[in-house]
Amino acid sequence: MSAVAARPRLRVGIVKMASCDGCQLTLLDLEDELLAIAERFEVVEFPEASSSRSAGPYDVLLVEGAVSTPEQAAEIVELRRKAKLLVSIGACASYGGIQALRNWSDHDAIRAAVYAHPEYVESLAAATPVSEHVKVDAELHGCPISPEQLREVLVSVAVGRRPQIREEAVCLECKRSGTVCVMVAEGMSCLGPVTQSGCGALCPTFRRGCFGCFGPREQANTASLARALKTGGCEDEEIARLFAGITGWSGPFRSIAAAYGGPPGVMPFAVPAGTEGGRDDRN
Amino acid sequence: MVIDERMPYAPYPSPIGTAVAAPPTRIAASGGGGPWFLASANLGVLIDLLREDGRTVIGPTVVDGAITLAEIRAVDDLPAGIGDDQQPGKYHLVRHGDRRLFDYAVGPTSPKRWTFPPVVAINVGRRDGRAVTFETSSIDPPRLALLGVRACELAALGIQDRVFLGGPYTDEDYRERRRNALVIAVNCTSASSTCFCTSMGTGPEARGGYDLVLTELDEGFVVRAGSPEGADLVARLPVRGADAGQMLRAAEAVGKVAATMGDPLPTAGLHDRLLAQFDSPHWAQIAERCLSCANCTMVCPTCFCSSVTQRSDLDGGVSTSERVWDFCFTAGFAKVAGGSFRSRPRDRYRQWLTHKFATWVDQFGTFGCVGCGRCVTWCPVGIDIRAELLAIAPPLSARPEPARAKPVAATPGSYATARIVSVRPETDDVTTLTIGDVDSAFLAGEFGQFAMVAVPAFPPVPISISRFGRDTIDLTIRAAGPATAAIIGLGPRDEIGVRGPLGTSWPIERAMGHDVVIVTGGIGLAPLRPLLDGIIARRDRFETVRLFYGARTPADQLYREELRAWAARGDVDVQLTVDRGTPGWTGPVGVVTQLFDQATWEGQHALAFVCGPERMMEATVDTLESRGLSPDRIFVTLERHMECGIGLCGHCQTGGLFVCRDGPVFALSQLGGIFGREGM
Repeated sequence: MSAVAARPRLRVGIVKMASCDGCQLTLLDLEDELLAIAERFEVVEFPEASSSRSAGPYDVLLVEGAVSTPEQAAEIVELRRKAKLLVSIGACASYGGIQALRNWSDHDAIRAAVYAHPEYVESLAAATPVSEHVKVDAELHGCPISPEQLREVLVSVAVGRRPQIREEAVCLECKRSGTVCVMVAEGMSCLGPVTQSGCGALCPTFRRGCFGCFGPREQANTASLARALKTGGCEDEEIARLFAGITGWSGPFRSIAAAYGGPPGVMPFAVPAGTEGGRDDRN
Repeated sequence: MVIDERMPYAPYPSPIGTAVAAPPTRIAASGGGGPWFLASANLGVLIDLLREDGRTVIGPTVVDGAITLAEIRAVDDLPAGIGDDQQPGKYHLVRHGDRRLFDYAVGPTSPKRWTFPPVVAINVGRRDGRAVTFETSSIDPPRLALLGVRACELAALGIQDRVFLGGPYTDEDYRERRRNALVIAVNCTSASSTCFCTSMGTGPEARGGYDLVLTELDEGFVVRAGSPEGADLVARLPVRGADAGQMLRAAEAVGKVAATMGDPLPTAGLHDRLLAQFDSPHWAQIAERCLSCANCTMVCPTCFCSSVTQRSDLDGGVSTSERVWDFCFTAGFAKVAGGSFRSRPRDRYRQWLTHKFATWVDQFGTFGCVGCGRCVTWCPVGIDIRAELLAIAPPLSARPEPARAKPVAATPGSYATARIVSVRPETDDVTTLTIGDVDSAFLAGEFGQFAMVAVPAFPPVPISISRFGRDTIDLTIRAAGPATAAIIGLGPRDEIGVRGPLGTSWPIERAMGHDVVIVTGGIGLAPLRPLLDGIIARRDRFETVRLFYGARTPADQLYREELRAWAARGDVDVQLTVDRGTPGWTGPVGVVTQLFDQATWEGQHALAFVCGPERMMEATVDTLESRGLSPDRIFVTLERHMECGIGLCGHCQTGGLFVCRDGPVFALSQLGGIFGREGM
């Protein structure tokens, strides 16, 4: 083991865009292994833990938050240059997060409605995922991310292999844990069948439907799930609200939210481009 | 391990022993060989005995809105008076008016959870410098008593026994868990709408593979033992011999359940029927609905697939491996470096369904389905495999093709007047009439249907519709007798009577996505011309299209200009032959079958459409079958004496069929021994 441990420590940085900091705090949830992590990684930037900033370079850069302002758009390009591996962490960094709800609305109208002097507010019309701006090597999903998956990414970097993150629906976590399906048994609306696992099926375990914070899984047949919800008595508005949640700006969720009338309560201007339909034709 | 090879379901011999036990002496002395009766009030004694024996009792209990399986500590944990209402994608608890404990159909959890748990430790790997070691995880399963196991679940255990223990390599974890689990079955006295064990031959009555089996009556249980250990338990229970009335009521209750289920999924020939449908367009239709969420596989009591995951420490020095439930619906399941072999949900669904009902049989000698219905109930979008199987691989008797004739309100006398628009001679004795002012029903007619055509004073004649125009139809008629001669003798603007469209049609929809072979002779091309029109209009929906056409002489070919035009397209292979060449004919001379007796196509999936003189069709069918087409993929038309055209007059009856109404287009498989038989 000594031969392995003798390698130089890897420089890991955590930076944030528009976010709540919950995802970076997940690192601190790895309580039992923080010492081991510190042996293997030099955490050179971690806003929630230290005010010191690094100029890079980074072996691994964990990016939290959506790109929401012109400064962030410029900064992420600069950060990418300094990072060997860039990992977006969380729903905001990977899908735009809850702040992407504003993407459905007329940005200027909202600013004018909220701020007395909107001219002082510099923000982009859309909050967008990091991957729309720079190449992302890996994404960790969730709101917040799973400590286990964060650990797996760190281990894989340290060991030099691909992270083993299962591509599957939340349903598998429900069934493995023995949780009775809230959709079939209780008629709840649940995004579990189209949502990437990783949360341990947290919400269904507490008898409520999944609201998709880990984002769409591969081959997410959102069109079929939406039809089933509607057949089960869901109003269009409820369906649109459900899909336009924390990861609602992801393609498969956004298309359904648009097809069912857009998220209620926003200040609409038009259906965003690229959201026609709501059918997944890849099947 | 003794694995019973009987088909279709070999009840798993209890790990404790294979023979039904002789009743313990003191019971035998007092009450004969059973069955015994256990009063409801004494079921708790059974649970207590099991627990005293150091077993954890796993049985039915209500958790989160469903009757699921969990540890049972006392009778009060059982779902007294509670049942369920199950539909595709729906599960609801219902309250019965009684205190019965097992009056429900199976819930989302099956004994698989204990014999093949969702997560099992496999090994721990360690690396120290250059040295590596792997320590296999110990197998130390709990002593269990599985209470309330249903007949379908016993069959499922038997199936997993074959999977895990029946082959050259065995799963020791499974073996130990199985060996340590006592099985107390309960015969079903109620079924849900999603149950179909009767079709799969697994229930509702337990036929083996248990240590004890109970049948619930209002006042208690009729009890039988299936192993020495079960008999030993009986000996320690406060039982008495069941009386004749109790035995009768128990048998009636189970029989009634079987009757209510009926046979919702006929399985005769299912293996072959399903394997013939690998290219069915239906897979894509299911995938429109399928979420590929894997719920069906996880609730399935026989699905046995898994993946192994590693969790290592930060320097890779210690790595723990676990086997976890994983199934053919997940993205990674068929993945290799470079991509997934089953990236599309349609591929995953096909993999699952064909495994359950066909390839499982090849591998393990039974279906992979026991008819418990869990996959139907617990599919979030309510996909019902019974319905899908019936649609993809319908039982021969239920096959819808050829498309049935639509009922038309046409009595044998109800001719509508239509007007001849144009007359085009095809050959010396064949003429095509284009008819306008026809009833709109004709314009919506199907390819292969026919019309009854009448001029006053002549008997009406059945004529195939040889083209469906925008507001006209074509009738191609050979002067075969006075009536047809009279019709051909008419000219433009003359009126005639027509009735129809009548009869069945070529199943063009079924040919989509497949190779199409059309074989025809003489005037037989006429009813196939609309089919060719239809295929060419949607050419991209079909694979290769070939037309083999034989005529007596070059001058006897119909639609010569169109034949040239079809050939010139390049995407229809038109091959012609004649019985007798004439000067200028450079093509082959001989029977039509020589055009394709060496041809190759996707024999399993090609569809053939054949029309011509019956002798020619017989030779054609023989050749097609020799080229790999099965009788259900060969469609022929029969010509018989027809008068009414609607199956009422009896002239055209052949075997059990009215050719006018049940035909004229038939799948060869429908005709059985009729086709080509002298005197039919």
